[in-house]
Amino acid sequence: MKALKYNKIAFLFLTLAALSSCSHEEQPTESQLDFNQPSKTTLDNWIGDNYLNPYNINVQYKWNQNTVDVSRFLYPPAVNKVQPALEIVKKIWLDSYKTIGGTNFVKIIAPREIVLVGGVNLNSVGTKTLGIAEGGQRVTLFETDYIDKTNRNNIKQFIHTIQHEYIHILNQNKPFDEKSWSVITPVGYTADWYNYTIASSNELGFITSYARSNINEDFAETASMILISSKAEYAAFLAGIKSPTALAALKAKEAIVVKYFKDAFDMDFYALRDEAEKNTNAVINN
Amino acid sequence: MKAKNIIQFLLAGFIVLLLAACSNTDAEQLFEETPTERLNAQKKELNDLLLSSENGWKAVYFTYDSVLGGYTHLFKFASDGTVQMASDFDADTKVYNSEYQIQLGSTVSLVFTTKNRIHLLSESDNYPIAALRSKGYLGDFQFLYYGEENGDIVFKTNRNNHELRFVKATPQDWTDLPKNIDMIKNVVGSDSRPLFRLLETTDGTTTHQFDFTFSEVTRFAEANSIESGYSFTYEMGVGYAPNGIIISPAVEVGGQKLSNFVYNDLDGSFTATGTNGVSATIKYSTKPLVITDDYKALLPGNPQSVYGYISANLYTAPSNSKMFKDLVNKVNATLPATQSLARIQIVFNNATNGTYIQYLFNGGKATISHLVTTKEDAANKTIILTNVGWTQSAANVAFLKELDDQLTNPSGLYVKKESFKITYSNVIWTFTSAASNFRMTTYAL
Repeated sequence: MKALKYNKIAFLFLTLAALSSCSHEEQPTESQLDFNQPSKTTLDNWIGDNYLNPYNINVQYKWNQNTVDVSRFLYPPAVNKVQPALEIVKKIWLDSYKTIGGTNFVKIIAPREIVLVGGVNLNSVGTKTLGIAEGGQRVTLFETDYIDKTNRNNIKQFIHTIQHEYIHILNQNKPFDEKSWSVITPVGYTADWYNYTIASSNELGFITSYARSNINEDFAETASMILISSKAEYAAFLAGIKSPTALAALKAKEAIVVKYFKDAFDMDFYALRDEAEKNTNAVINN
Repeated sequence: MKAKNIIQFLLAGFIVLLLAACSNTDAEQLFEETPTERLNAQKKELNDLLLSSENGWKAVYFTYDSVLGGYTHLFKFASDGTVQMASDFDADTKVYNSEYQIQLGSTVSLVFTTKNRIHLLSESDNYPIAALRSKGYLGDFQFLYYGEENGDIVFKTNRNNHELRFVKATPQDWTDLPKNIDMIKNVVGSDSRPLFRLLETTDGTTTHQFDFTFSEVTRFAEANSIESGYSFTYEMGVGYAPNGIIISPAVEVGGQKLSNFVYNDLDGSFTATGTNGVSATIKYSTKPLVITDDYKALLPGNPQSVYGYISANLYTAPSNSKMFKDLVNKVNATLPATQSLARIQIVFNNATNGTYIQYLFNGGKATISHLVTTKEDAANKTIILTNVGWTQSAANVAFLKELDDQLTNPSGLYVKKESFKITYSNVIWTFTSAASNFRMTTYAL
């Protein structure tokens, strides 16, 4: 009994000591970090209104070495090229997916950041990297300074890059049927794809030479090439393939792409293509 | 011991522990401020420095001075985060506006965040030589802050950690920037100057000579010693200035580092002057740096040898001088459109005809020969060709006279057996006038 009483007193003391022992330490004061918002330009506000607020996508056009490969010789885009590039991206990519996939589609699956780089990303072998998609979260687009709205091929290449990288983002969120894909043209993949002409790659069942680098690129190239072609253009492309096995391979790949969009996102791939074509024409004709 | 005692001792022990626990939590502070405070102070220090110079800053940026030269940039920073910039990267020396930030990289750094002139050095697909494919001009536009020294701001470049100094600019720096571009032609060299160029260094007593070559696309020069037994090479990145050039790495002579070479338009030379008689000069010479004895094989008494300039293969040879090509063009201009000079052949020591210069033509025109005698100028190591007579009348050969006068000039010709080949495996020989900028390239036939 007595021991218990001591214990109670001791316990009380311990609690008091615990509560008061560190009380002399300084309390945190105001933060030393600079939380001031940088002053926003008209362009920054436009990005806020068109990307950040509706889609929660940040656009980075000012240089930040942490989002680019420091071993490459790249530079930030010319400021006056940023909004035209983003307008094209919004019209052809965001608007098309919004119409076909539903208002929330790109809000849910989208890169959270688009990084714009002004110059060409030239590789030492002479090829050019047009875009990079990373971890389902970030898309980097190169050659922003060279966008020419009056040149259909130029716009098409830029759009191709966006569509291609977004397919990667989709794949990075929901994988496609890699097993079925890898058996269609198992022997055509090669690391030196750039040594082959597009026509010769077509005859092996690849939509471009770059598609031959691996099955992920093959899927992204197949989907994005169909998306940037009109129905008639793609039919004409298929009609030009001489090898029956190549034609069968291209059609099998197309079927997997269509099935992927249906199963993974409940989206009609052909409707998406038509919408993208409509929006592409709108961009080029304006 | 009873259980309650054990508990009491334990409790007492806990209390002691608890009281002691907070008694010494302070780590030893090496600095008075926290890391955040110090970083913030450094950021402010750099920003204040950038804004402090009334006329902005000048930096001659040698991106990689073992391959490339220097590119002068002028910066004027404003407190709203914008910067005005001009550079001598190309002929466009106008001032452009863009943005900058002080960012935290591996340390506090200055970053040119939106596109301006300095980014021209970092374009992967705009490179001066094949070896720099995908690397542009190896330029950075993020500079790590290393403090202030004698009024300069000292940076290190982000990728290769080379020092880059921002020096306070003057109003004249801004107005004079186009003069950097005007200086280029003087560094490249002029056709109207003598044919040979050299770097000559002196430490007050000993003089050394080096041949000198300059590549305009890379702004890079190389100078190799011409003295036997003294093997030394200077490799120099070249930056242009209104009054001359700036060299990096500096040319070291007699323990002194010389980097500012001043241009002299009278003789086309660039001179850097140190103290105690030390200097280095890039200058022209009418004499080859190395004069060979190759002419001796052509003197009388030797077997026959023939050297031919063949228009079809050798007109574009870089070893022809402009004066030679001008004279060939002049000869062709006097001929009908269907005819042109095909060859100039010098036949030395022919058994029947001795030595003569042959002019051969395309388009059916007959060959013209000029008979000469030869003798040597042993002191100057030249061979002198002297007129004996022509195979045609003076009126018929008048159109060749200007060209022929160079080959038969009284000071003679320097003869050099070259080590390079052009199209064919024939050995190339050059004949250079000792009195003018005339140099002809020939095949040994």
